[in-house]
Amino acid sequence: MISCKTTGQRLTLIFLSLFTFCSIHISAQDVAAGKTLFVGKCASCHNIFKATTGPALMNLEERHKWADHKELLKWINNPAGYMANDPYTQGLKAQYGGQMMTAFSDITLKNVDDIVAYINDQVASQGKSKDPGTVNNEPKGNSNAVIFGVISLILGIIALILMQVNSNLKKMSDDAEGISRPEPVAFYKNKIYIAMAAILFFVVGGYLVAKGAIGLGRQTNYQPEQPIYYSHKVHAGINQINCQYCHSSVMESKHATIPSVNVCMNCHKAIKTYEKGPKLYTESGEEVNGTAEIAKLYKYAGFDPNNATVWDPTKAKPIEWIKIHNLPDHVYFNHSQHVKAGKVQCQSCHGEITAMDEVKQVSELSMGWCVNCHRQTKVDFNYDSTGNKFYSIYEKFHNDLKTSELNAVKADKTLTSKDRKFKIDSIMRTVRMDSVRVQDIGGLECQKCHY
Amino acid sequence: MKKFGIITGIAALVLLVAACGGPRRSPGRAYMPDMAYSRAYETYASTDKLMAEYGNKVSYTAMPVPGTIARGDMLFSYPYANDSAGYANSASVKNPLDIASIDMVEAERKYLINCGICHGTKLDGNGPLYKDGNGPYPVAPKNLVSDDLKKMAEGTMFHSLTYGKNTMGSYSSQLSTKQRWEVIAYIKMKQGGGAPADTAAAKATTASMVAPAMDTTKKAKQP
Repeated sequence: MISCKTTGQRLTLIFLSLFTFCSIHISAQDVAAGKTLFVGKCASCHNIFKATTGPALMNLEERHKWADHKELLKWINNPAGYMANDPYTQGLKAQYGGQMMTAFSDITLKNVDDIVAYINDQVASQGKSKDPGTVNNEPKGNSNAVIFGVISLILGIIALILMQVNSNLKKMSDDAEGISRPEPVAFYKNKIYIAMAAILFFVVGGYLVAKGAIGLGRQTNYQPEQPIYYSHKVHAGINQINCQYCHSSVMESKHATIPSVNVCMNCHKAIKTYEKGPKLYTESGEEVNGTAEIAKLYKYAGFDPNNATVWDPTKAKPIEWIKIHNLPDHVYFNHSQHVKAGKVQCQSCHGEITAMDEVKQVSELSMGWCVNCHRQTKVDFNYDSTGNKFYSIYEKFHNDLKTSELNAVKADKTLTSKDRKFKIDSIMRTVRMDSVRVQDIGGLECQKCHY
Repeated sequence: MKKFGIITGIAALVLLVAACGGPRRSPGRAYMPDMAYSRAYETYASTDKLMAEYGNKVSYTAMPVPGTIARGDMLFSYPYANDSAGYANSASVKNPLDIASIDMVEAERKYLINCGICHGTKLDGNGPLYKDGNGPYPVAPKNLVSDDLKKMAEGTMFHSLTYGKNTMGSYSSQLSTKQRWEVIAYIKMKQGGGAPADTAAAKATTASMVAPAMDTTKKAKQP
């Protein structure tokens, strides 16, 4: 089935396609030039759809006299001069915090046409792609435990039924053969059943009691609902904001510091809606409206997104975040010591924080957990230029050991062979720098953390 | 039928226990709460209880006394206020730090954490938050290696960094005065000297600064 066309039809088609190609090509060139200009000159202060430092440029031709691009050019080339006898732009200046637009004297009329073409093109394409291709990624519940529980329950019931069936059949066969046995006791009076149940009860109960007792005061998997649904996944994961942007004192202080509202507002003064990221869900599967969560932040900050210039940061109220990681009062822990000197990554203790919407405690923060890490972690001496020089006081010690002391021990005739071997062993152990663990430099001393 | 009742009862109980999944919303209990939770005031703790108990006998304020100068900030007192006159005057302020004494590796780290997110790792104003307009940030961050920014005085940069400019917020809570000057020195170095590097001597120092910084970036990439 090959469709044949007449030569006339083909010719018309070619003409038509050429025509459309040319027309698209011409307008695309304008739009492309406009985009370059817009990004280079305007985008620092203007967004097409949102009011930021300056007004949104969407549909600007419908406002004031801007449909006449010559008027627009006059304004762009010399805003101060244009404003002198124009109440509309004077009003704009007052509305946007008394800030005058920067003059762009090098812009020509052609440039203005291009920029407006680009803006209109963006507005048109925004209208087309309005319906969002929703990807429904519902979070999966942890159903494995339930399935296993149900299966073992069913198996247990089947076993019980089979045992009852077995005893009934036995009774029937006994009746048929005329053997008289004492009346069988009910299964809940059967001593074997009772003994088995008692053993099971003590094993399971003992396990649960021990587990509960160990877990007292530990908060593994603690995942409280925070006053604002703040997703670390969106901020630190998708948008690649460094942990230390917000937790800025982690290298200098005992605390990693919770950011104050002004740090949030550094970005959210401009980012007023959540629209480009994936859909957000709470742990119980309800969908979260990101824009509404940002609005909660504005409430704390005392910020009016429609009237951004009158914001007074000193009126902001702190957000009462709920503390997740809590060490008992009798334990001392210092973030800077671990992050700056020890160069421990945040994720080593806090888990894959960049994949968490709602943060939960991953490590158990028990003493055994601390001590284990101190036993296993090698000390990063890094004497060369890349290191932090924190342990540089050990450098001389190491070099001395390597050369003179080793020789001295070997040459010392007064030592018994056992003593000499012990000394050389201990020296060799310290000399091999990669073998030095945190425990060897005091990481297991009680009073380092309890005092 | 009695047996059946017992069995279904146990089954229902087990199912109920098994179904109690979901997130852990409670912190649980402590064995000895007086040893676990501090009686003394702890960082970020609420003062409401303290105030309710002692009323106005406690004088607590989260703010330092007016006029307090942070340790190490005496050298760098910045004279201009956050207004247009201050912005205009800021151009005359010079970096009080000795450029050669600045650890450029550390300055670069501070830049990448605090500035790179918008202004980009290449200082081209295209960080992960903007991504050519595909990121969440609605306006284009300044291209720090453009000609007008190269001409900008370091004092003006310090003014903007301290008080914020347009949609950019103030960074004085995240970076100390010294760190702000270090980051500005890093930006000026990346801009290739710029305005302050007029003399041959200054050019020589910036050139010598470029070399070690590039070495370290190479080293960092290797592993």
